[in-house]
Amino acid sequence: MCDLFVLSAGKNYSAPKSLPLFARQASKNLDGWGIGYFKKYNAYVEKSAEQAYVADRIHDAFQRLARVVNSRVILCHVRLQTSGPVDECHAHPFSLEFAGHNWLFAHNGRAPAVEAYRTSGSPIEGAQSDSARTFEFLRDRISSYLHSPPRILPTLFEAIRQSTAQLIEEYPGDYNYLLTNGWVLFAFTNHRQFLILKRSKKLEGGLMLTTLARGLSDERWLRLAKSTNKRGLLLMISGTDVIFRQAL
Amino acid sequence: MCDIFALSAGYNYTAQHYLPVFAEKARENMSGWGIGFFRDGQTLVEKSSEQVFIGDQVHESFQRLARVIDSRIIVSHISCPRSGGRHSAHNNPFALSFLDHIWLFVNVSKRKEIGEYQTANEPRLESDVYAARIFEYLRDQILDQVEKYPYASLYGTLRESIRHLLSDYPGLYTFFLANESVLFGFSNYRRLQLLKKTESLGDILLITSVRERLSPEEWLTINPDVNSPGKLLAVAGPDVLHYGDI
Repeated sequence: MCDLFVLSAGKNYSAPKSLPLFARQASKNLDGWGIGYFKKYNAYVEKSAEQAYVADRIHDAFQRLARVVNSRVILCHVRLQTSGPVDECHAHPFSLEFAGHNWLFAHNGRAPAVEAYRTSGSPIEGAQSDSARTFEFLRDRISSYLHSPPRILPTLFEAIRQSTAQLIEEYPGDYNYLLTNGWVLFAFTNHRQFLILKRSKKLEGGLMLTTLARGLSDERWLRLAKSTNKRGLLLMISGTDVIFRQAL
Repeated sequence: MCDIFALSAGYNYTAQHYLPVFAEKARENMSGWGIGFFRDGQTLVEKSSEQVFIGDQVHESFQRLARVIDSRIIVSHISCPRSGGRHSAHNNPFALSFLDHIWLFVNVSKRKEIGEYQTANEPRLESDVYAARIFEYLRDQILDQVEKYPYASLYGTLRESIRHLLSDYPGLYTFFLANESVLFGFSNYRRLQLLKKTESLGDILLITSVRERLSPEEWLTINPDVNSPGKLLAVAGPDVLHYGDI
C-alpha cells in the first residue's frame, strides 16, 4: 500500500528530518516516490520510479531534495504499485491546472472502478492508473461546481466535499488523498487513517500529516479516521491549522 | 460609521489601487486609519489618527503605504469618531499573538458593554476601545476552546467563540481576523461586499464593508439575514474556503 506525507506551514519550510524518516518508515513501498512543492504560485514535482529506500539507505536524490525543497506545502508519496505500470509517469504527485490554480494530488488506496472514468477535459498524459483517473474526476467535478450558476458564494470546501461524495458514490473504492494548491490543503480518508502532529519538537515545525500508522516520531500524533457509520472524513488545512473538517 | 477592508491573494500583492479607493469611498470617516499586513513571519501595523482623506486627496502616508506594502493578506480600517480615542494607538488594526500566530483584527461594531470585559490572559491591549476588548474576548475564548479540543478546526473554534460573544455581549459585530495564512470575516451587522479578480500574477479576493463598490465590476454581497445570528467566512489565497451561519 502506498503512503502519503505532507508538511504544511505558514511560511516556507524544508523537511530534512521528516522526509527521510517517512521514506525509511514507508520502505515497503518499492515502486517509486515523488515530492511536490510550490514556488510562488506554481506547482513543481520531482519523481522517480526507483525505490525511496534501498539497502538501508535513502535514495540519493530524495535525500538531497529533502534538504533543499523549500515551500509552504511539501507533499510526498511513496508508491506500491496496485494500478498502472511502474514508471516515473505513474509516480505521484500529479499536477493539473484548474479553477485558477496549479494543484498537486497524491493518492493512496485501491480504486479499480474509477479506472473506467473518461474525462471530457485534458487527461493526465500517459498515466493509466486509478489515481490519475481519480484526480481527473475531481478536477472535472470541482470545476463544474465552481462554474455552474447560480451560486451566491461558491466555496472551495463545498466544491471538494460534493465532488468527493460523487466520487465514492459513482466509483466506490479506497481513497486517501491529498490535494493542494499551495495555500490550502485538502485531505480525505475513507480507509486506513491519517496521523497529524503540530509543533513537533523533534522534527520540523508546521503541521505534518501522514498515512503511516505510528506517525514519524514518538510524539503524540493524533489519529484521524472516518467514523464507522460515515463514508469518509474531509479535512481542510491552511498553514499550520485544520481550518475545517466534515464527515461525508 | 467606520469601515473595514481586506485583501487576500496567493502571493504577495500590493493594493496600490484598492486601498486608496477604499480610503476615498470611506472618506466620511475622519478619525484615523490603519493598515495591517504580514512580512517574513512578522505582523506589521501602520496607523494614524489623522484623516485618511483631506481636501481632495488621500492621506499622503496612506497613499505611499498602499504602493509599498506587499503581503498575501492586507487588512485596513478607517475610523469614525465613535470608534474611540483620537490617538493612533486607539485605531485598528490590533495585533495579538496566540496559537503560534500573530493575528490582526479590524472591527466595526455597536456594543458598549464589551468595554467592561477584563481579560485574564496576556498580552493585554493597552488601548481603551471596544475593538481591543472584543479582540481580547475572542482570543480568550479561542484559547479556552483549543485547550478543551486541541485538534478541533479553527473555523469551528472561532464559530463557537463568536457564539459565546453574542451570548455574553449581544450586539452588532462586523470584523476581520487574520493570520499569515487565513482570513476570517464575520458579520451580523454590516453588509460585506466581495470581489474575486484576476490580476496578471493570479487571482485576488477583496472584501469590504463600504457601501459603494470599490470598482465597477459585479461584487458579491453578503447580507446577514434578519433571522441569522451572523455569517462567518474563511478565506485563503483568492478563495472563499467556507461560509455559513454561525
